[in-house]
Amino acid sequence: MNETILLICLAFIVIAAIACAMFRSMLKCAVSLAVVSALLACVLYLMGATWAALFELSVCAGLVTVVFASAISLTSTSRHQPENEEEHRKRVAGLPFILIATGMMLMVVIAATGFHIEPQANAALVGLSFKDVLWNMRQADVLGQIIVILAGAFAVAILFKESDKA
Amino acid sequence: MSASFTSLIYTYIGFPLLAIVVLNLIGKKHMEKFCAPIGCAVGVVQAVTSVITMLLLLQYNKAAVNFSQFWDMSVSTEAAYFSVDAISAIVLFCIGMVTAASFLTAAGMREEKMFNYTNVMLILVLGMSGIALVTDLFSLYVFLEITGIASFVLIALHRDIIGLEGSFKYLVMSAVASAFILAGLSFIYMETGSLRYDAVAEMLAGNTAAEPMLIWLAFLFLIAGFSIKSGIVPFHGWLPDAYQSAPAPVSVVLGGIVTKMAGVYAIIRIMSDFLLGTYSVINLAFMLLGLLSIVMGALAAIAQGDFKRILAYSSISQIGYIVLGASTGSMIGLIGAVLHFFNHATFKTTLFVNSAAVERQTGTTEIERLGGLQKQMPVTGVSSVLAFLSTAGIPPLAGFWSKLLIIIAAWQAGGPLIAGIALVASILTAAYFLRLQRKVFFGPVEEHLSTVKEARGGIAVSAVALSAVTVVVGLLFPVLLQILQAQGLL
Amino acid sequence: MNTLTMAMLVTAFLLIVTGLFMLVRTNNLIRIIIAVEIVMKAITLLLILAGYINGSELLPQAFIVTVIVIEVVVAVVAAGIAIRIYRHNGDLDIRKLNRLNG
Repeated sequence: MNETILLICLAFIVIAAIACAMFRSMLKCAVSLAVVSALLACVLYLMGATWAALFELSVCAGLVTVVFASAISLTSTSRHQPENEEEHRKRVAGLPFILIATGMMLMVVIAATGFHIEPQANAALVGLSFKDVLWNMRQADVLGQIIVILAGAFAVAILFKESDKA
Repeated sequence: MSASFTSLIYTYIGFPLLAIVVLNLIGKKHMEKFCAPIGCAVGVVQAVTSVITMLLLLQYNKAAVNFSQFWDMSVSTEAAYFSVDAISAIVLFCIGMVTAASFLTAAGMREEKMFNYTNVMLILVLGMSGIALVTDLFSLYVFLEITGIASFVLIALHRDIIGLEGSFKYLVMSAVASAFILAGLSFIYMETGSLRYDAVAEMLAGNTAAEPMLIWLAFLFLIAGFSIKSGIVPFHGWLPDAYQSAPAPVSVVLGGIVTKMAGVYAIIRIMSDFLLGTYSVINLAFMLLGLLSIVMGALAAIAQGDFKRILAYSSISQIGYIVLGASTGSMIGLIGAVLHFFNHATFKTTLFVNSAAVERQTGTTEIERLGGLQKQMPVTGVSSVLAFLSTAGIPPLAGFWSKLLIIIAAWQAGGPLIAGIALVASILTAAYFLRLQRKVFFGPVEEHLSTVKEARGGIAVSAVALSAVTVVVGLLFPVLLQILQAQGLL
Repeated sequence: MNTLTMAMLVTAFLLIVTGLFMLVRTNNLIRIIIAVEIVMKAITLLLILAGYINGSELLPQAFIVTVIVIEVVVAVVAAGIAIRIYRHNGDLDIRKLNRLNG
């Protein structure tokens, strides 16, 4: 049952991503990205990664969409004439064909090489909680996250501050 | 091993963090004039600590020292920890040296955004030190991203359109490269269930992969990702733009160390820690990419008209040598690569400091508008000649020895053809640098430049200090080689 | 053959191709950033698949949380630079970014 829902989610992720690439309207583009994120959060949840699902949903589907939406609205009064419908359609028309070709190629490669990956049991991490893993085992990454957030704060201070001159 | 030793190592991460906290707690108004000294101090402390680390490693005869950060990490053997070995110590020394040079240059340029520059530079130092210290591929990715984010912000520091353009190009290429690297990591993780260097090395050495396709796939993505990050031909498109558009003190640190840490260091790590065995085609792939970079970078450098752009293409070519050395898979090649890494950090930093001096004193870096600066700017002129002789591999300067080791290793691993191409490309190096020297420093003085004076203060100090390193290391090299031979490494 | 693992693998590859296609076929700076984000979604999928195959979601979950934090900071910085470029050029066309040539 779970597996069926997962497969449906995956199918919709691909559809939403294609839509994101094909939409001419930037806002629709950003919303499709949010849909991809939300569906991905569903997949993460169903696979048992509840914390990751929470982050994906709140940060990627939420915060990032807000960032893109504000960036789009801040830059919406473009002097530049947006390309017309026809031109845009020509530009992105190749995508479905490329994707179908990629999919078929993958199928052929998988079939030809006998490629297989099977889920296996893991004894190494039994009895640990997510908290143990993130805070005790991945200290280097936690430190890295702190520094990344610091870097982001400086970046915002430098890039978004209205300048005193020029 | 004494406790003081382990605590000493914390300075790599602790000192820059402390500097950031102090700077921002006291605030811009009071700290602006102390920014350059603090930055220099961070760089110098880093360099000194790495020298002490190296000496202690030798004394206690240990290959590496591990340490964790905050609290108990003994829950599982899977824990990610930091570690210093000989290669990291050398690399950390380079980071400290280039950081100090960059701050000296910024002080000499009277960088008006000194406070912001210092903050982001310190983040950059943290990111690069992290890359050198981690022992886990995923943590490596995390610190790569920190380095990347700090560099994007630094390139765009003045918010002029050129800087923004270079920054955006770098950002997009780097983001794609990171995605490739992560894809490669997840394929490796599917196979091993761990991303620690030792676990991955064990899996590769034991050839225990259940699905070898995954390993091939992983390395395909990793090669693409790290090649983009290090600017190897044909993935180099963003590099000259980023170098040229960055403010002068930033291009010192970008050209001196950042791209090498972000890409080449990881390649050296993969080659030194993982015995590829059955996957040795990967060595060959890196070798050919390195060779392509050497030749194409040198050829492109001959055609450039901008001081910093020539240096950028020269970097591509020299990075090719480092990759070539590392990918030979032999100890000589590896030592050559690490030493060339060090040498390149020294002489390329010197040259970028020189370009900063020229830019500050004349207001341009276009070589057609320069000429005859040798008389007016003797320090810059002489240090530039020394650096370029070292780059071209003229004995007895440092660059000669590392190039020699790399070419010997390339001969042993790939035959005379590969070694020959690498050798001939050395002559191209001399060609583009001779052109640069002739246009900028030699010949008659251009009329509008007749009042130009030598750059004073920090820029001159760092040019002299770096030239001294080039010469002294060059003269000490035979001794170093003897030590290595005594250790049985050559 | 396990349908789920294969489906996830194929989905991830299709997402990567979609993202890269979008990246090279657009002239708009913000669209380029969105394209990079799509590639990152594929990476998240690959990481969770790696966990599924290894029988424990714990470590990949920690990875994904870190990746998400980094991804957001990169997106914010990129959007900031794009907005700055817009202030200078009056539009978001990448073809106007041609001041650096050599």
